[in-house]
Amino acid sequence: MRRTLYIILFVFVSGSLCRFGVPWWAIVPLGALAGGLFPLSAGRVFGAAFIGGFLLWLLNALPENNANDGMLSAKVGQLFLGVKGWHLLVVTGILGGILAGLGAMTGLLGRKLYVGSKPKP
Amino acid sequence: MRVFRFLLSLLVTVLVTWQLMIPHAVGDKNLPALGAFFNPFSGFWKNAESSSGFHYTDSGLPGLTGKAQVVYDDLLVPHIFAENMEDAMRVQGYVTAQHRLWQMDIATRKASGRLSEILGERTLAIDRLTRRRGMVFAAENDVAAWQKSPGSMKMLEAYTEGINAWINSLSPADYPIEFKLLGYAPEPWSVLKTALVVENMADNLCSRDDDLSSTNALAMFGKDTFNYLYPEWNPKQRPIIPDTGQWKDWHVALPAETGTGSTGSVDRPSYDNLASAGRRPGAPETDPYVEGSNNWAVAGSRTRSGHPLLANDPHLTLSLPSIWFQIQIHTPEQNCYGVSLQGVPGIIIGFNENIAWGVTNVSHDVSDWYRIQWADNQHTKYTVDGQTRDVQERVEVIGIKGKEARRDTVRYTTWGPVVYDFDPTHPLRDCALRWISHDQPEPDGSTIFMVLNAGKNYQDYRAALANYDCPAQNFVFATRSGDVAITVQGRYPVRAPQQGRFILDGSRESNAWHGFIPADRVPAMKNPSRGFVFSANQHSTPPSYPYYYLGGFEDFRSREIYDRLETMRNATVDSMKAVQLDNFSRRAADGLPAMLALLDRNRLDEDGKKMAVELASWNFRYDATSTAAPLFDVWYDSCYQKTWDEIGQKDAILMPESWRFIDLLGNDTSSIFFDHPATARREYARDIVNESFGLMQAYFHKNPQKRSNWGQFMGFALKHLAQIDAFSRLDVVVGGHRTAPNAMQKTHGPSWRMIVDMGEKVKGYGVYPGGQSGNPGSPFYDNMVDTWAKGNYYDLLLLQSAEEGSSRILGTQTFSPSAK
Repeated sequence: MRRTLYIILFVFVSGSLCRFGVPWWAIVPLGALAGGLFPLSAGRVFGAAFIGGFLLWLLNALPENNANDGMLSAKVGQLFLGVKGWHLLVVTGILGGILAGLGAMTGLLGRKLYVGSKPKP
Repeated sequence: MRVFRFLLSLLVTVLVTWQLMIPHAVGDKNLPALGAFFNPFSGFWKNAESSSGFHYTDSGLPGLTGKAQVVYDDLLVPHIFAENMEDAMRVQGYVTAQHRLWQMDIATRKASGRLSEILGERTLAIDRLTRRRGMVFAAENDVAAWQKSPGSMKMLEAYTEGINAWINSLSPADYPIEFKLLGYAPEPWSVLKTALVVENMADNLCSRDDDLSSTNALAMFGKDTFNYLYPEWNPKQRPIIPDTGQWKDWHVALPAETGTGSTGSVDRPSYDNLASAGRRPGAPETDPYVEGSNNWAVAGSRTRSGHPLLANDPHLTLSLPSIWFQIQIHTPEQNCYGVSLQGVPGIIIGFNENIAWGVTNVSHDVSDWYRIQWADNQHTKYTVDGQTRDVQERVEVIGIKGKEARRDTVRYTTWGPVVYDFDPTHPLRDCALRWISHDQPEPDGSTIFMVLNAGKNYQDYRAALANYDCPAQNFVFATRSGDVAITVQGRYPVRAPQQGRFILDGSRESNAWHGFIPADRVPAMKNPSRGFVFSANQHSTPPSYPYYYLGGFEDFRSREIYDRLETMRNATVDSMKAVQLDNFSRRAADGLPAMLALLDRNRLDEDGKKMAVELASWNFRYDATSTAAPLFDVWYDSCYQKTWDEIGQKDAILMPESWRFIDLLGNDTSSIFFDHPATARREYARDIVNESFGLMQAYFHKNPQKRSNWGQFMGFALKHLAQIDAFSRLDVVVGGHRTAPNAMQKTHGPSWRMIVDMGEKVKGYGVYPGGQSGNPGSPFYDNMVDTWAKGNYYDLLLLQSAEEGSSRILGTQTFSPSAK
């Protein structure tokens, strides 16, 4: 449980570097680092990193959207196949989650090439 | 196994990430790279502007010589306070880019044929034609001329550097959302880009000509019928400058040879083959007139306050972001407020504490086509007066996104570029374009608005205008001291009668323009006894003016505005508003009675009778709520098309003007043109009117949803510049018509309504359909649209100092000198 939390926190905190000019796709290698540092089963690593990435992207988009009263997301939603503004918040979170999750899983599997230790259940 | 699982995971991860990094197309929709667009750190979420509070930060500005402040009011209008004009221009560049950067980028890309660099092959044909028409050539000539005036260049460069200071301060997260959607980055501004914005306006306003369609019409009909169908002067016209004997002693000297067969003004033009080859894409227009504007100034003798009132509403393509950007510029020398064009320093239409001015387009034809006599098969040489000249080749390199750049060689002759020779079937393939915009302007032409902005009186106004050539504008003017004036300002070729109406023979030097109308003979008027001056794109002068000119002149708005001003007493700002918002159409008032008189009501069915009653009781106003206006419009259009069927079915034949058509309907009902050539019967105006009434009924029977009111019927659409519906306003319902002073059309209309009261303290009122911010994620993106649609105005805030208190002030952005 603790490692799950570590992965979530690691992805969230290190991913926040993107606020300072680090490219957005850095969440993939950062996720990989998290997966390599805190080994769990592949599924749990993916899940934990997904939550970290999901929260990271969602919670960074949310205040922008709120301060704007959802005006822009409503327009962009209309542009993207006519979905609602809040759908875009969810889509944003899912994209962040998938990127972090895939990165973490690859990191974990990469670690296993060198370190044979069994992951904690 | 471990290696396999790792590699599989790596592959999936890389693939997914890669897919989110590149743009995709879904159906006909182009989507941006989703990861780049959706991530909250640099994607579109960063364009979601806070809907409350003030968030413009103080900044250092390289090159600034003193402190400068920008006070924003509650409409996000920047009020610039600078210690000198150069600083003011630098700050104007900065704040304009701060709010409208993408618009500036796309406008100059369009004007320079560089759309394909970002949009790919689909805009290649557009870019190619832009280049071939010499738009970049024209802009380069502008810059070459401006460079002769160091004073002007200093201002242009300060403005340019201000824009670039803003661009340099941006990280990709700060780019306007359109850059993110289209996946490209802003590039530095330059003086050439300012010239491109100017040329883009010239292209919109003075690139029209009917040379080909007139030549074809003359070839088809012969001289007598041509003159019958296309008279140049409408006797009902109210010209901008009436004849008061001011030019009775002027003599226009033309070379002896001119006008004898050289222009095609003899019985037939020399090029019959053009008629058969003459194709113009698209359906014939009912009334070719589109762009236009109104302006007027009423002298104190006609106003309640005893001080002049000035009004202006330029009618242009309406878009989001708007073509205009409101701004105040205060320096020790001037305090001016008005609207500016993105990319051009200074204020184009506005007022200061002493004067006010406004512009409408002068519709003179300043572009002619010359048929080239080639001297060789490769078209590298051509002949003028028996002597061979070399073509100058100009290579245009057109960049295309994702593809190799295309090189296109354009042949330049003594007349100008040969535009269409890439298309062997084009009727103008062997013709060169002589267009005033290609000429070098006056060196100080770029700063005339800055001079006008600081003007105090009539002399200053005339001195500023003396350097203005193109696109020609009717500059209306008023002062606090009581003067009203108007000048038809521009550079106009001196022509022999009919010269330039048809395609010219380019093998004869005598067909060249015979110089330009001298500045002191350009039509102008100051303080006429009638107590008002006005323009609405109509003829500049009556036919007694000694210089021949031609063009596409307005016939209906101008007459209505004249009648309204002529009867006006004790005028107030509200009376000015009432004229700007006037939906009364002279075309309807002239045309409908003539049509109703010919309508055989007894033959109509019940519904037709109801329609006829509705039409007969119509007040000729295109109000949004009018139910008769759609009926008239469809009926009129169909009547027009049925009458000119022998012309409309062939392409590129000049269509007669609406006023002439209405004239025939009323006064020449047995004209042969009412006859359908295809039928055995002989038709008269009465037959056409009744037939088209039936067609109108059929139209509304087939499209019952269209039979609502005029607002719904017109279907006004305020579109985003990239035609993105989500960034457009498609819910706005307005009335008006291009033949009424409130010249509304589906995508065109009054782009800036301004009224200035020249009282003790000058007071301005204005509105445009848009908002100061170009960002669809800003509350200031379209906040003025509803006010405009309702016909309301804002009080324009002319501040005296940056410290002046007002409840309307949002905050202040301060600029200080900083290192480069």
